Amino acid sequence: MAELIEDFARLFGAKLSLDRTLIFRKGDSFFLLSRNLKKLVERVEDWLFAGLYLGKIKGGIFLPSFPLLFMIAEQAKNRVVIDDKAAWLFICGRDIFKEGLVKVYGSKNRGAYTLVFNRRGECLGFGKIIKDLDKAKSGVVIKNVLDVGDFLRRERTQISEF
Amino acid sequence: MFGKEFFVNRYRVLGWEFRDVTPRQAIRVNSMIVKGFDLLERLSSLGVRLEEIPFARGGYWVVHSKFSVGATVEYLLGYYSIQEAAAQIPVTLFTDLKGKTVLDACAAPGGKTVQLADLMGNTGVIVALDINKQRLKALQNHLERCHVKNTVVYRLDARKASKLSLKFDRILLDVPCSGNFATDKHWFERRTLADVKRNAKLQREILAEAAKLLKEDGEIVYATCSLEPEENELNIDWAVKNLSLETVEIECYGEEAPTEVFGKRLDDSVKNCRRIWPSEKTQGFFVCKLKRRGG
Repeated sequence: MAELIEDFARLFGAKLSLDRTLIFRKGDSFFLLSRNLKKLVERVEDWLFAGLYLGKIKGGIFLPSFPLLFMIAEQAKNRVVIDDKAAWLFICGRDIFKEGLVKVYGSKNRGAYTLVFNRRGECLGFGKIIKDLDKAKSGVVIKNVLDVGDFLRRERTQISEF
Repeated sequence: MFGKEFFVNRYRVLGWEFRDVTPRQAIRVNSMIVKGFDLLERLSSLGVRLEEIPFARGGYWVVHSKFSVGATVEYLLGYYSIQEAAAQIPVTLFTDLKGKTVLDACAAPGGKTVQLADLMGNTGVIVALDINKQRLKALQNHLERCHVKNTVVYRLDARKASKLSLKFDRILLDVPCSGNFATDKHWFERRTLADVKRNAKLQREILAEAAKLLKEDGEIVYATCSLEPEENELNIDWAVKNLSLETVEIECYGEEAPTEVFGKRLDDSVKNCRRIWPSEKTQGFFVCKLKRRGG
């Protein structure tokens, strides 16, 4: 379980080392527990959610939680900083144009994954580089994979489900 | 027994003259991940005017905002939650939360669970229960967004919480209730006294279960957003007479609860509860702190 999460972190050039004894899987979801919580969930098993949510497997792909992304963000080598307009569009689910890039760290190559930061240094999500960043002159260069606006989209889905 | 006139008359007997109000929206800063001062500056630069809530630390009324405060980057990053001012009170009534084992018996959608985690500094353990699947999803999203680490969530009816075989230092009973007209514009058309009595029965069952799970020196905070005495003073009167619990004096916003309700004399200690009538500041609310008798 820990390998899956550590492999995911490596996509961004981050080296996470998680205490394997504290990572729990529940259905398709993964959680990092404290020792206190571990004792409790081992005793009372039918839980839905515990500790820090790390992400889930969906359609064979690992989808990270935002707390996990923020943990990775502390060490990630692959990161881009985008301007305010691009940041707003990004959290609305849009891709990133070359024109919105302020700074690029780590890999600039097509196919690499990169964390996306605003000018304040806050991680807003991550994307996949779809054009080499040092060659592309304009247009979409990073495809949005996950952004914090997802919380709003989930809320809307849930409200319509009520 | 229903309709606006019926309920408004009851409020008059309890000493409050009805007036239609819309309480201001409020937020609560999540101090687990942001400093209040930094956040206020940021929101202010976006044109959001806030006013500090004097009775809820970290709470602010939204005086003016051109956009929804539920759609800012700061909100999405978990820096604050949207939480009505009176709803911020119950959690603050617990003493010494750090490192404790806490039951949040009716937790979804999680505003108070996150507040508990915040006041606990993400230490100890919160056991959060609810039964509604959709509301549990909202609770889990809230915990993720606000970086809560110390909570375990079960889909379990609060009336069956002893299935967990655990004892708790602190128990929050933010029980399902009839609500109030200040947050539901169709409240008077929807509610009847029969609804109120049905909710009161459910609340007593939850109180009784909680009393079984409380450690000797533990604390229960009971809260509703109902104005109906059956769900408030009468339930607490019943609890102190039947569950070996006693009320604890609290210092918080609101007025002393009445000890005589519709001609019925209640235990004197019910006056320790606080009743909050709706206003521009808050919705209607009721809160009470309990401990074991002699505990």
